[in-house]
Amino acid sequence: MSSLAVLLIAIPLIAAFVSILSKKVAPYLLLIASLINVILLFYFVPDGIVVIGGYDLPYGINLFVDTFSRTGLGVVNVLFLVIVLLNIVEFKKYSSVLLVALAGLNGLLLTGDLFNLFVFLEISGIAAYLITTSNHKPLATFRYLIIGAVGSSLYLFGLIIFYGMFGTLNLMDMVSFIQANNVDPSALVLPAMLMFIGLGVEAKLLPFNSWVKGVLKDSNTLSGPMIAAVYAATISFVFGRIINNLLTLAFVGNLLIVVLVLLAVGIFIAEAMAFASTKVREILLYSSIAQASIVILLFVNGIVLWAVYLIIANALSKTVMFLVINKATKDHGDDESDSLQGVFSKNILVGITFSVATLSVMGLPLFMGFVVKLNYLTELAVGAQWALLAVILISSIIEGIYFVRMLIKLWYPEKNEVTVKFDLGFKVVFVAIALILLALGTYTAPLNTLDNSIDTIAEVIDNG
Amino acid sequence: MIQYAAIILIVFGLYGLLSNRNIIKMIISLNIIEIGLNIFIISVGFVYDGIAPILTSTNSSSALLYVDPLPQALVLTAIVIGVGTTALGLALAKKIYSKYGTFELDEMGDNE
Repeated sequence: MSSLAVLLIAIPLIAAFVSILSKKVAPYLLLIASLINVILLFYFVPDGIVVIGGYDLPYGINLFVDTFSRTGLGVVNVLFLVIVLLNIVEFKKYSSVLLVALAGLNGLLLTGDLFNLFVFLEISGIAAYLITTSNHKPLATFRYLIIGAVGSSLYLFGLIIFYGMFGTLNLMDMVSFIQANNVDPSALVLPAMLMFIGLGVEAKLLPFNSWVKGVLKDSNTLSGPMIAAVYAATISFVFGRIINNLLTLAFVGNLLIVVLVLLAVGIFIAEAMAFASTKVREILLYSSIAQASIVILLFVNGIVLWAVYLIIANALSKTVMFLVINKATKDHGDDESDSLQGVFSKNILVGITFSVATLSVMGLPLFMGFVVKLNYLTELAVGAQWALLAVILISSIIEGIYFVRMLIKLWYPEKNEVTVKFDLGFKVVFVAIALILLALGTYTAPLNTLDNSIDTIAEVIDNG
Repeated sequence: MIQYAAIILIVFGLYGLLSNRNIIKMIISLNIIEIGLNIFIISVGFVYDGIAPILTSTNSSSALLYVDPLPQALVLTAIVIGVGTTALGLALAKKIYSKYGTFELDEMGDNE
């Protein structure tokens, strides 16, 4: 039974192959595979380590299912299914690509082998490039491909240096070897930084994120939420796992300061760019970059639990925000905030759900974002990280100003009337996500059931 | 020594990517990075006087000195992935050419 986790990767991959044979059944295969994955994940896949091909650890590839990966899988698979359901009619021809993407994303979240992770990074990356071709901006997609390929090459470079040093590709084996032999952190600096930069490209960290603007500023209802919510959440989980276990062994002393300064500057610049933008999608994409940097900053500081909740809150909010704005832009033809002025005056329900998502990202009380922000700020204060605390608080003020300014524009009509029609499916999703954000913001007990030991790799290593 | 050659290739590739404004040349630069990386991976598993890691009727003893087979397997996978990325890059290059009529980034005007 424990090997059922393999199906989370195998089913979409097999379905992807079959879907190429018949274009007609491809959309149905996509829906069925995504649905089976969600059912498998919530009802059948148990926690544990799955050894692939009968090769004992650390020689064989292994899949690692614990609360951390299960949380990631839950968020990613459910949001994937929702986004697919909303777009299946319009983007039928992307079914095979989406199946490959699902296999790649699940593989990324499950694998415990660092080279296998590179393979899934490339599989999901190639699927992501193809998803962004739906924007009909081939030059932006090409830039994404080049930067993404260089990023994964750097990750592979770092990984091979680690292999040359320790003779293993298994994450747990490598970490336990480094700990057992008290390896000097300075010896780990080069491969750790190469891996950090490589994953930083996909995680949208400044200054490795020049692809994001081209891809998301012309996104649609498929590519926008898929890249900004599903892919962003997956990469954040994977990056978190690697930082939390492997890279923190190298991030000590001056290198830690360099990484923290890089992330803090990233947050500031992204918020400033969002503040200076007038196009709604640009505001959202720069806000995503800032939030991604905050997540990685929390992982580097060992605040795992609240980083995970921040990923979830962001993924939920960004799904609603990108879906609303991309649908409005598609119907209206422009995403300038002046041009979309008053779009919510005729779509009050959608306006309310969009506002809930925005206020949650801002971290206002009553919404999930507030609980998460309060807790991670408290943890930073407990750790006496005053400079980082100040960075996040100041960036929150900037964020508050541009989001409120944007909301006011979108709510109050001026001259031209903006008419956008949202289907019932969209509305149901918006309301459901808004209710989740509201429920977890007011009733916080479910968030307190887990603690920082959610990532159990260290525990497994301790127990041999 | 061969690792220096691999790193020089990677640096050449990066230089090519940063200095070229032609899409095809950028794809070639990306390939040079990948080739450099593949040579680096192979070099990690290299053992002086080691033989190919294949058990045959003449080389069947585990006491013999073999080179590390794992990096070779990794390179095979990396090559396949590299080919996939290059193919996709070329497909996009074709799309870009049909849209702008040129491979030069500077001549495309509309900078997306």
